[in-house]
Amino acid sequence: MSLLVKNREIVLPGQLLAKGNLKPGENVYVDGRGFLRSSKVGLVDLSRGEVRVIPLRGVYMPKVEDIVVGVVSRVAGNTVLLDINSPYTGVLLLPRSREGRRSGRRRTFSVGDVVLAKVRAFDGASNPLLTVEGEGLGKLSGGTIIKVNPAKVPRIIGKRRSMINLLRDKIGRDIVVGRNGFVWVKVRDLQSSLLLERALRLIERESHVPGLSDRVTDLLEGGIAAELPNSDYREV
Amino acid sequence: MKMPIYLQEPPEILITPEGVRTDGRGPHDLRPIKMTVGVLNRADGSAYVEWGGNRILAAVYGPREVHPKHLTLPDRALVRCRYNMAPFSTEERKRPGPDRRSIELSKVIREALLPAIFVDKYPGTVIDIFVEIIRSDAGTRCAGTTAASLALADAGIAMRGLVTALAVGRVGDWIVMDPNHDEDMYGDVDVPVAFLMEDKEITLLQLDGPLTEDEFNEALDLAMKGADLVYEMQKEALRRPYLVVERSVAGRES
Repeated sequence: MSLLVKNREIVLPGQLLAKGNLKPGENVYVDGRGFLRSSKVGLVDLSRGEVRVIPLRGVYMPKVEDIVVGVVSRVAGNTVLLDINSPYTGVLLLPRSREGRRSGRRRTFSVGDVVLAKVRAFDGASNPLLTVEGEGLGKLSGGTIIKVNPAKVPRIIGKRRSMINLLRDKIGRDIVVGRNGFVWVKVRDLQSSLLLERALRLIERESHVPGLSDRVTDLLEGGIAAELPNSDYREV
Repeated sequence: MKMPIYLQEPPEILITPEGVRTDGRGPHDLRPIKMTVGVLNRADGSAYVEWGGNRILAAVYGPREVHPKHLTLPDRALVRCRYNMAPFSTEERKRPGPDRRSIELSKVIREALLPAIFVDKYPGTVIDIFVEIIRSDAGTRCAGTTAASLALADAGIAMRGLVTALAVGRVGDWIVMDPNHDEDMYGDVDVPVAFLMEDKEITLLQLDGPLTEDEFNEALDLAMKGADLVYEMQKEALRRPYLVVERSVAGRES
């Protein structure tokens, strides 16, 4: 065990993280000399002998079993193509119409529909296959989509879903966070939707600073009137 | 930062016997450098670099879907690069559009960065790199490569490490760091070098003019020293936005 950086420290691509018998986790690679190095800008996380780097930015790369929010971009026969905020297009194959009829559920999709789906298969060589078979999956009617940095989705959900539960308690039940960085929301009034967007932007901007959920709680309690630095963190 | 004034005529003397250069630097000094990351909201990653009189914007888009489709590589990401000089970036107006020189520089910048990118992590996608020279002042390919490497890291693309580039050269008997405009035009030798900083692998090496073996080794050693300095600035620039947020949160809570 020889971590050369502090846990939770910001590291950069190529930075030496550890020598010795630690396991390389996500966004960590082993160099020619057997040392562990980061491949991204992110936060170091050491747990159970495994070093990983939690990325701070990046596009969504599909992984099997991920729950994603997609927007229908094309319908061709029983194939539905979905924009899943990724370099790849989501492919949803609808069951043959007879089987569909037998299961008693009619599924029709048109361009612009918002769909909650699960990644069934993805090999990198062809577009990811999605499915809507499963509890809670399928079309999401109405509502709007807020686009967030996909790298921050785990922060928006939080440890044991703590953050998303907090948002749902304070703002409304109809918030669905896709692993791909599309957040679907249906609320009664504009205020709540603005408040949610503010909360999401706060998480995006400040997730690398400890005490995030306290700050999100403060924002939600203070309501839309709460003062929040408006500036993008990148305007240095 | 004061803008250096260029003479239309070649300066009478490029470097004094004591080693003072036309801009007042010593032979082994870099020009003033400033770097900022994340300056473009619409790009996935971006960087702005001021290096001497150079002003350079680098933008990275992707990984994203490849267009046109037939260029897709099934097992890795395609990396495309465009180096472009603004018409107003030079002393005389430059005709807009790619010319022989900028096509070459697009190629060498792409190839200097490619070994740093884990292209096999993003099969079937494209990573587009744009290097825009807003004001040019010698050494734009190196400053552009340095900026593009920051933009790639800012885009959250998996990399072996950062790429740092700078030029060294020879003026008379002197091996000089980071040649300026005068030395680039009227000096004897120009050597642009790029390093993949993780293991100091050389990913770009061009040589324009004669050097003895000893001079070449001295130049390369000097380039390595310079790269270490530039690398520190790159790392600081990448960390800065996050430290700024940290400080602003701390300020709000106190």
